Amino acid sequence: MNLGARRMSNAKADDEAFEALFRTEYARVVGIANRVLADSHEAEDVAQEVFIDFHRLHSASADYAPAWLHRAAAHASLNKLRGARRRYRREVAQATEEGDRTLDPQKQVEVDEERRRVREGLARLAPRPAAVLVLRASGLSYAEVAGALGVGIGQIGTMLRRAEAALRKEVTRGTSD
Amino acid sequence: MAHLTEGTLRRMVDDPDSLREDVAHLEGCADCQTLFKSISDDARSVASMLAVPEARVDVTRAYERVRSASAAGPRLGFRLPALMPRSRPMILALAATFVAIAVLAVVAQDFKTNLQPTTVTPVPVTVADMQALSQLSNYGTVTWTKQPNLQVVSSAADAASVAGGMQPPVVTNLPKGVSTNITYAAMPQAVAVFTFSSDKAAAAAAQQGKTLPKMPASMDGAQLTVTVGPAVGEIFGDLQKSSGTGSGTSQLSLPQLIVGKSAAPTATSTQVTVQQMEDVILAQPGISPELKAAIKAIGNPGTALPIPIPVPYATSTTVTVQGVQGVALGDNTGVGSGVIWVKNGVVYAVAGSIKQSDAIDIANNLK
Repeated sequence: MNLGARRMSNAKADDEAFEALFRTEYARVVGIANRVLADSHEAEDVAQEVFIDFHRLHSASADYAPAWLHRAAAHASLNKLRGARRRYRREVAQATEEGDRTLDPQKQVEVDEERRRVREGLARLAPRPAAVLVLRASGLSYAEVAGALGVGIGQIGTMLRRAEAALRKEVTRGTSD
Repeated sequence: MAHLTEGTLRRMVDDPDSLREDVAHLEGCADCQTLFKSISDDARSVASMLAVPEARVDVTRAYERVRSASAAGPRLGFRLPALMPRSRPMILALAATFVAIAVLAVVAQDFKTNLQPTTVTPVPVTVADMQALSQLSNYGTVTWTKQPNLQVVSSAADAASVAGGMQPPVVTNLPKGVSTNITYAAMPQAVAVFTFSSDKAAAAAAQQGKTLPKMPASMDGAQLTVTVGPAVGEIFGDLQKSSGTGSGTSQLSLPQLIVGKSAAPTATSTQVTVQQMEDVILAQPGISPELKAAIKAIGNPGTALPIPIPVPYATSTTVTVQGVQGVALGDNTGVGSGVIWVKNGVVYAVAGSIKQSDAIDIANNLK
């Protein structure tokens, strides 16, 4: 087989591996971004950017692929959260449209307010504690969180504990402002 | 036994099957019980704070979107080296090299190109912006009449023959520490044609709840033809090191230096002017205001070649290279830098994990 043909068959195998990876991980990557942004449309945008970035630079059959995607999803969405405060207004509109339609209006206002304060608190946390919280809340196991952040599994309990205490403090601070 | 650590207690909140000795300690220790209660309260409270309505996704549709976004930018004919997640600084270096490649490859996506650019202008872009441009297919059809076909070859002569006679540049003063192992890449000329469709554009606008911006009547069926390349490049680094044995995912080393040149891209249009076409495209919903502003800000649209640069790396300075004006990116830390310039209708790029001063030096001495 000449070089060109071999490259082509490699490319095909690669595309198949990428599709398989996409189908396995997409919902979870969106879930992570949605956890941060509380906006499923924005979460999908972030998730797709993450996959495109991944596809440009990495082989889909790499062992570290899921961990890379989880980490990138957390960081990309947290960056977006820190960058865009104006987003909250849209978030409120969208949450009303999609999620909690069963709530009465007064209750809805409270839910929106709470969600906004939590996101502001999350945006103020350091990147790593914020990522730990988001990844764990998105249903990743301790081992998966450790893999995504490149730390030992034994550190996760401590990191989670500190991050949870920090977020609670930030959110409480937000209330008393 | 010493008290349980907060980390251990936190883990016990999630894992009822904790170590038996830890459970035994907790049962008999009032202090640890108090702490455990406060830790599990925090955990529960944070879990409810972070609760969101679940995102419902259509994986197949999303996959199609990602595929078309990836396909719109021609895939490089070779795979860039795999990076482990923790090698963040290397990503910066890669971004710098990506900028160089962007000149050769991504510019095809950028319909701002005009006849014979003589200078370069960096345009900070986000991946979302790139995607926005690739959504051009919502407003018409994009077809490659000549597919971009970047090939990796083993000699300068082979590269020149792929690139229709264009000779790879010769680096005369390689900085110390840069591998002398050279891989050549070459691409024949590629041609993309975009045909604008008023119907498609109206449908796309309607989907976003917007009406179509005003445009010349002759826009429907107008064609924009963008020609890129031919292009040749040299990649310095031991790219093929891991070939042969080992797992398929074993790491390749990063290219240390990429030097490339390409015929400056050109754009021509039918029915309307390139400028009109561009105005209409930029007025479409879905293209970010930032990108629009950046493109509008380019001084002389007839002569400036916009170079897409990922936003986080968009620190650039104007430099003089080989007697003409160029753009330098990156810094002198050696993490990553690059220089891009246009001379006599050819776009040149030098980039790598080298100091900016070295990159400029290589650029000035390029034969």
